[in-house]
Amino acid sequence: MTDAAMPLAQSYQDAPTAPAASKPQLHARHPAQEDAATTGAIRGTASSVATRRLLVNVLPPLAFVALLAGGWELMAASRPSPLLPRLALIWSELVEIVSTGDAARQIGITLGRIVMGFALAYVVAIAIGLASARSRIAKSFFDPVLVLGLTVPGLVWALLCVIWFGLSMKTSTIAIALGVAPPLALSLAQGLNAVDPQLIEATHVYRFSRRARLRHLWLPAITPYLLSGARLGFSFAWKVIVLVEIFGLSSGVGYRLNSAFSSQNVEGVLAWTIVFAVVMAVIEYGFMQTIERAVTRWQRVAQV
Amino acid sequence: MSGTIAFSNIDKSYRRPGAAAPEVVLRNFSLRIAPGELVAVIGPSGIGKTTLLHLAAGLETPDDGRVTLGDPANPDHARLGMVFQQPRLLEWRTVTQNIDLAADAAGIDRTLGHRLLRAVQLGGYADAYPLSLSGGQRQRVALARAFAIDPAIVLLDEPFSALDELTARKLRLLLQDLWLRQSPTGLLVTHNTLEAAFLADRIVILGGPPARIVREIRVSAPRPRDSEDPAFFAIHREILATLESLSVPALAA
Repeated sequence: MTDAAMPLAQSYQDAPTAPAASKPQLHARHPAQEDAATTGAIRGTASSVATRRLLVNVLPPLAFVALLAGGWELMAASRPSPLLPRLALIWSELVEIVSTGDAARQIGITLGRIVMGFALAYVVAIAIGLASARSRIAKSFFDPVLVLGLTVPGLVWALLCVIWFGLSMKTSTIAIALGVAPPLALSLAQGLNAVDPQLIEATHVYRFSRRARLRHLWLPAITPYLLSGARLGFSFAWKVIVLVEIFGLSSGVGYRLNSAFSSQNVEGVLAWTIVFAVVMAVIEYGFMQTIERAVTRWQRVAQV
Repeated sequence: MSGTIAFSNIDKSYRRPGAAAPEVVLRNFSLRIAPGELVAVIGPSGIGKTTLLHLAAGLETPDDGRVTLGDPANPDHARLGMVFQQPRLLEWRTVTQNIDLAADAAGIDRTLGHRLLRAVQLGGYADAYPLSLSGGQRQRVALARAFAIDPAIVLLDEPFSALDELTARKLRLLLQDLWLRQSPTGLLVTHNTLEAAFLADRIVILGGPPARIVREIRVSAPRPRDSEDPAFFAIHREILATLESLSVPALAA
């Protein structure tokens, strides 16, 4: 503190403290929360929120899965055919690939390829997104590339990369990056353009350092856009990587799917598809949504 | 420690899209605000009041002339606080973090800001996010942020115009209290003539365009002031009469 600021701070020492706030549930350390009755009320509210969440978020998807499984079993029982295996057969295949560790191994390989592709996509997207947000010429230059990137089907990128790069890590990395970079770059440019110019002025007036501006203004402002771009890109990456693994690689979930298909093993195809879907759900609900909730907490607080 | 604000022979014009010639807002404009003085600038809309604030804040640069803040020999080191019409808080940071960030950027210990937060009666909201506060509370945070850096200069851009009159009255008293404790040099842009009379040491009325000072009124009432002081109503009428005399030729034109 400067010499002048210290006595100044002391001059505010006797200032009255704020009266109890009217929204105690918003503040973890609010004095009103120490009141037992209030704490009880908060607990009651929390329990009803948990029940509502269970009813709205958890039960409907579980009901859907149960309905799907029941429908499948009815169909398989009424028309016995190797093309429609019973649930028990699919389950035993699933147990086998999981218990032998093959599922975890192949998912690890596929996820590793996705991470590599995503890393490259982020580097490219940040460069293009920043340039497009800062310069109209750059935006005009990159717009056709991004539109092209958004419209070309993943299958085309998968085929081209297998042809160009053969059986190598490059194939999956570049195929994913080609598909994921355009939506990410567009989201990033959109996020950068949406940062409130009034806030930029305020940080300028208060002489925030470049680092402070990046950390406290730009990154939080563009994070929702980056997350939405990542989510779009992630679903695209899964589709592309499976195709690449089917066409040109000798490991991964896509390769195993292709092996099961080649040997007419329908329950194998379904078991690998279920593993794939479960991993997707874990990533979406356990990872993406958790990050999203954490970084947009300030918005939800306002809605309480 | 307060500093001076000096506009010396400022020229500033804007080129509007589609306009044949640039619009001259300021031509050879000069105004000096002494250390510890609070000057209110009043004038018709679009006359250049906000341009003056933006020039002082460094958000715009003059076409010609010089803006000096604080010590003329070392102008970059004058700590500057600003209260905008909207609070302009980082919504993803808590109330305390918003204040701390300004203090950190200015190299001031955070203690002053934390005490100011209690002084503006928001001690219980330290961990709240701005969106969970009312408009008046957010503007209190903005006031605390401006004074948390122990500013030499405070710029006020219609700071209470977006609030209801009751809240605005409370915040004017709060601003007066902060001013009495810290005595920075201030430039207030407002359309509220009573607010100008209550807060300022000197009221500058602008005419134009380009902006020129048509009248200066000194407010000699000692602080703390009473907003119901009849002297302010007399000044209010005086300002209105001056503004009305300005608006007649403008309307005719």
